[in-house]
Amino acid sequence: MSRQYLTAEDVENAGSMEIVVDEKTIVTPQALEVAEAAGISIRTAAGSYSEPTPDRGPDASFAMRGLPQLPEPSAGTPGEGGIVTAFGKNRQGVLAEITGVLAELGVGVLDVSQKVVGGHFHMVLSIELTNSHDFRDLQERLACLGGSDDYLVQLMHDRVFRFMHRI
Amino acid sequence: MPFSDREILETVRMVELETLDIRTTTLGINLLDCADPSLENTCEKVYTKILHHAKNLVEVADSIGADYGVPIVNKRIAVTPISLIAAASNSPDLVPIARAMDAAASEVGVDYIGGFTSYVHKGFSKADWALFDSIPEALSQTERVCASLSLASTRAGINMDAVVRFSEVVQATAELTRETGGLGCAKLVCFCNVVEDNPFVAGAHIGIGEPETVLNVGVSGPGVVRAALAKLGAEPDLVAVAETIKRTAFKITRVGELVGREAAKRLGTTFGIVDVSLAPTPAIGDSVADILELIGVDVTGAPGTTAALALLTDAVKKGGAMASSRVGGLSGAFIPVSEDEGMIEAVRKGALSLAKLEAMTTVCSVGLDMVAVPGDTPISVITGIVADQMAIGMVNNKTTAVRIIPVPGKGPGETVEWGGLLGTAIVQDPGQFAAEIFHRRGGRIPAPLQSYRN
Repeated sequence: MSRQYLTAEDVENAGSMEIVVDEKTIVTPQALEVAEAAGISIRTAAGSYSEPTPDRGPDASFAMRGLPQLPEPSAGTPGEGGIVTAFGKNRQGVLAEITGVLAELGVGVLDVSQKVVGGHFHMVLSIELTNSHDFRDLQERLACLGGSDDYLVQLMHDRVFRFMHRI
Repeated sequence: MPFSDREILETVRMVELETLDIRTTTLGINLLDCADPSLENTCEKVYTKILHHAKNLVEVADSIGADYGVPIVNKRIAVTPISLIAAASNSPDLVPIARAMDAAASEVGVDYIGGFTSYVHKGFSKADWALFDSIPEALSQTERVCASLSLASTRAGINMDAVVRFSEVVQATAELTRETGGLGCAKLVCFCNVVEDNPFVAGAHIGIGEPETVLNVGVSGPGVVRAALAKLGAEPDLVAVAETIKRTAFKITRVGELVGREAAKRLGTTFGIVDVSLAPTPAIGDSVADILELIGVDVTGAPGTTAALALLTDAVKKGGAMASSRVGGLSGAFIPVSEDEGMIEAVRKGALSLAKLEAMTTVCSVGLDMVAVPGDTPISVITGIVADQMAIGMVNNKTTAVRIIPVPGKGPGETVEWGGLLGTAIVQDPGQFAAEIFHRRGGRIPAPLQSYRN
């Protein structure tokens, strides 16, 4: 019968210099310490021991099957999208700076909307995301534009807007 | 454009200006397989299993927060009631398990771990008794561990012996954490009709019907509801108020649903529930009291407050129920006094008494929460306050809770600063009278007629 845990006490009581555990056995950090101090090696039948992938239980596999089947709210656009919003003082070149970064990273712009009120602007760009885009990188590059006394840009995944505004 | 500018700016404004956030993603971990005749081994297994399952919880939550632009403020862990795990060891001192939980929570970087828990609504097992005995030491010696106790239910009635024991434990915990204003009691709560999938502390734990691991989400957003009501103005009638709250709660809950799905997927675990609770923080504007005042009471605690809170709690639930098929936990509106800047102000003005708070708990989602009383409050008075709260829950088929802090060395009207999320409290006066004989009688208040439903 395979054991769920191998504890320090198990190592102390093992009575041999080698302990073979099942691949799913979790060896406690304390057991590893005791084994190392006593020069006892812990291994599995296949080779050296490494911590198994967490077994989240029988429901987890049902959940993994069920999650993709849940209806996703749609915004009528294909694939994944992002929403870039920018706010700040209106000056020339803001749109060029933002679209410049997007062009450099090969991101397609689907739509742009801009309004200027009393010297300030807000701008919204809907962009296309493909698997080849590194979302985090794009987010960081955009966040570097402007500045607190100039304008601020941020990128959010469009899924949050779909969930909030579409059923 | 797939969305109108108005929709996009509404969402951005909610996050940037109205403190919309995901209050917590709480990973539930079943610890039943950690039971061991040796307490030392139990602790070792508890520590190891928590680490094993939660080591990437913070990283996953932060990455989701960044991708979707909605901050996930807290990452927490909830475990199986420790009295069940500890029973095999037959140990009278369970503080070492609390220390193991604390060490694991600290190692994985979560802010709280709930589950130093016992179900005693019908009676004590030996391990339950040991857990009660261990709570004061456990809460004073650890930073992140939260304890919760089920003392009553509609089905079982009220275990008054447990209510008395709880009150003694509250006083002992306050005394042991005297230097921090009795702060240990902020991590200690008792329940009637305990919720077994609650992601919020101090009551977080996972009950015996829960899966091996489960991801529960707690959304919040009093600031968003407040902003929507401020925009609505004072003219529209109460149906319009309810409708506004409902629509706003829908939107908030949708974000919770999204985060829950994504977190469960990235962690490879079951998505449990979204708890749709308006949970205030001491930040300005993030207040349930402000919402009640925008609904129309002059100051929270004034006549009309209970009715306004009833409307609020119900509208939040209705909006949430449409937004997610897994609404669970407590879901409604929390009224933790010290954590809500508007509530503190109401106490300061003398508008919000302990008696009015009790009335409000009949319609809010939990109960007396983060209430400070004088350090020398007799145990019989605390027993009475807890028993009243348990009775409200028992008869009304609802969850009620008590998180009460007798602040050592402080009297009515004095202020205590706990800092951070726990905020500031003004010590409230529980009155001159107790229920001494009631307290001494002990025994059980039998289950009410409402329980005979089979």
